[in-house]
Amino acid sequence: MSASKCDMSHTDLNGMRALDGVRVVELSIAIAAPSVARTLAFHGAEVLKIEARSNPDVARLFGSAWARVPEFLEVFTDTSPYVPEMSAGKLSVGLELKHPEALAALHRIIATADVFITNYSTPAVRGLGLGYDEMRAIKPDIVYVAMPGFGSDESLPYYPFLAWGPNQAPLVGMDELTGYADQEPAGVASIAPPDYLAGKHGMLGVLAALDHREATGDGVFVDLSQFETTVSLLGPHIFDFELAGNVVGRRGNRDPRQAPQGCYPCAGDDRWVAVTVGDDDAWAALGEVCDEPWVTDPRFGTLDGRIAHHDEIDGLLGAWTAGHDAAEVAAWLQAAGVAAHAVLDHAGLLGDDQIRARAWYAVRGGGRFELDLFGREPLRLTETPGDVHRAGPSMGQDTRDVLTRLAGLDDAEIDVMIESGAAFAATAPDRVLQRPYHRYIDVITRVDRGGRA
Amino acid sequence: MTTTKRPMEGVRILDLAGISGANGTRLLGALGAEVIVAEPPSGHTMRSWGPFVPGSAAPEGSLWWAYFAQGKKSVVVADLDALRALAATCDVVVEDAGVGVLDEVAASMGPEVIWISVTPFGRTGPRAHWRGSELVGWASSGLLHTFGFPDRPPVMPATPIQFGQHVIALDVALSAQLALRVRRRTGRGQRVDLSLQESLLFVGPETGAPLFLDDLVPRSRPGNRRAVSRPFGLYPCADGFVSVVVLQPAHWRAMAEWIRDVTGEDSLLEEAFFDIAVRWEAAEFVDAMTEAVTMSMSKLDLFIEGQRRNIPITPVNTVADLRSDPHLQAAGFWRTHEVHGTDGVVGPGAPFRVSADWWSFSRAPLLGEHTEAVLGPLRG
Repeated sequence: MSASKCDMSHTDLNGMRALDGVRVVELSIAIAAPSVARTLAFHGAEVLKIEARSNPDVARLFGSAWARVPEFLEVFTDTSPYVPEMSAGKLSVGLELKHPEALAALHRIIATADVFITNYSTPAVRGLGLGYDEMRAIKPDIVYVAMPGFGSDESLPYYPFLAWGPNQAPLVGMDELTGYADQEPAGVASIAPPDYLAGKHGMLGVLAALDHREATGDGVFVDLSQFETTVSLLGPHIFDFELAGNVVGRRGNRDPRQAPQGCYPCAGDDRWVAVTVGDDDAWAALGEVCDEPWVTDPRFGTLDGRIAHHDEIDGLLGAWTAGHDAAEVAAWLQAAGVAAHAVLDHAGLLGDDQIRARAWYAVRGGGRFELDLFGREPLRLTETPGDVHRAGPSMGQDTRDVLTRLAGLDDAEIDVMIESGAAFAATAPDRVLQRPYHRYIDVITRVDRGGRA
Repeated sequence: MTTTKRPMEGVRILDLAGISGANGTRLLGALGAEVIVAEPPSGHTMRSWGPFVPGSAAPEGSLWWAYFAQGKKSVVVADLDALRALAATCDVVVEDAGVGVLDEVAASMGPEVIWISVTPFGRTGPRAHWRGSELVGWASSGLLHTFGFPDRPPVMPATPIQFGQHVIALDVALSAQLALRVRRRTGRGQRVDLSLQESLLFVGPETGAPLFLDDLVPRSRPGNRRAVSRPFGLYPCADGFVSVVVLQPAHWRAMAEWIRDVTGEDSLLEEAFFDIAVRWEAAEFVDAMTEAVTMSMSKLDLFIEGQRRNIPITPVNTVADLRSDPHLQAAGFWRTHEVHGTDGVVGPGAPFRVSADWWSFSRAPLLGEHTEAVLGPLRG
């Protein structure tokens, strides 16, 4: 095996993070690329988010509903809850790259970096002089990750097309497959799953490229078309179309291998419990919990029978669940060995014992807010779990630090850049805000406060 | 490139998981890792999943297996002792057997082994022993609540492809990469504790607690058009549906001009309709006018013409549409895969491109194809 045989079993991993020592420059918007850099930051990379007032990240433009008043105008772009969700632990560097001095400063920063990641459109990033060839001239072994909607090859038909979150899921086949067969596609417009999936593939590319570089000394260009990335999950169904002409369609919540499966109404307004009966034993277990006459109906004793009578079972099971609390039904079924869970809404997430016990939500300060709230990371490495010590940065919060430390500029030079509009620092740097729920943050979340609570 | 070494070369992975790890280990294998699937004599569960190669069946005919077991080795393992011995030769072990089931085997591993557990809710906390499924995972993430039409139960995204399982399978691959990186520096392996609930929380900040606490606006099931403005969502067309998302003023001007060009109706170019709130109040009229455009053409023509007009519009594609999509064709995305019982089948190519020669996707293994080659040396 290739594992190191040296005895280091007593090495102290305390506080170590997997990506300590890696420096990342991010020039990106919205979700796909920012979500990669967010995960890199959590696992120890120093992430420099390059931001422009002339072209802010949409996550900043959203702001916050309560901040749409003159009192908050000067800090509005720091108020969106997407800022900590997408940028916790990052440094924000304010550079207007159309100014030659700003671009020159970024080039000096790039020369010290390991990874450059962008989801700007390819024409935009090339227009700024930040294509792979320009980058490679500055830092030959740079890991360069481009994540435009339709790839970086300008000869391809959709190269100039507009791509954004809500429009990607339909394009890649997800909307067609979401909903009930007897109804229009329901689509997945409430979130942007292809963005996050593209992000995870981008992360795979970054980590593989860092390994590649360590082994060979070579840089790597990763060209990720969000279109192609998500379509790559459709393999079995593309094969089926090729071999048999079958076009897979939507089928609600049903599964050909386990039945019944569905969402069943519970007591209250729009309350549901999700149930999956995995096999015949689980069906018998469900029967003991709900103790209705139909549970022993021999027609329902086999998978084929339950699939054949799925509509009838849905009616019977739904009539039983409708009298009970969703969380109670789920607990009863789970105690008997049946997969079930209340369909949680946002308030339900806050009250969820499992989410609290595993401290999914984190509270940190350090940015525009005295305390801010964001989700942690699913990659739970138990010995090197990662962490960030700051929530999302104010726009331009780290400009001076980074230009001094990495671009080799002194205070006077930075002052000149700021005066000329080539760079900017945070507005009202001493102004610290509180979220509307600030007073209750611990009561609401009972979350980990980074060792300060 | 100056070298052909691939990023995961020299790494041996034992895959004991089902679909929850399958695409993750497939990608690591495609990047050079040796991936061994330990199967019971009756075969891995995915081998029984249809669709199948026409005229074929389990254990060798499953198209799920043909795709997601690509590049892997199949070893039939009859008992826990054999499994333990095999695991001890691996750098990474991936399993989804449930909390407690393989803990003794895990505890018997040397300190350099990376052991990745995939469970519905994680290995700690009050629900550590709860059972899961794709649907239960979405329910526990807060996302399911927001998918579907208001008059029907919530519905999970892309049910036939098991989308959530692919999300956590990617997390398997990423955790392995991070943990291997730590091991190169310290010699130490570690336990990784993945939870489907958390993997799906990560892809849904839009429906998560921080956004809700900040604005206290409840999110519910909107159907296939969003209650924000119009046009925003899915619209019927001559041969299916298209997605139209118009928010910015420039996009709206282009859309209103398109409506005028098709219908002769020019009132939507009036100043007031540039306000998204006004278009939301006039949703019925705006939708009717939008449908007048969309019903006049096919989804592909609407896509090409709409984008030419600078409007964010995309087709609601089926697998058949995707196979004939001009961009994917021109990009050379599709590749012919070796599939047992066929002369080769066209399917998706690599999920992204790299300047180095990394990717390799080879045939999925027959049941037990590599048993002797892998276990023989262990018998010494």
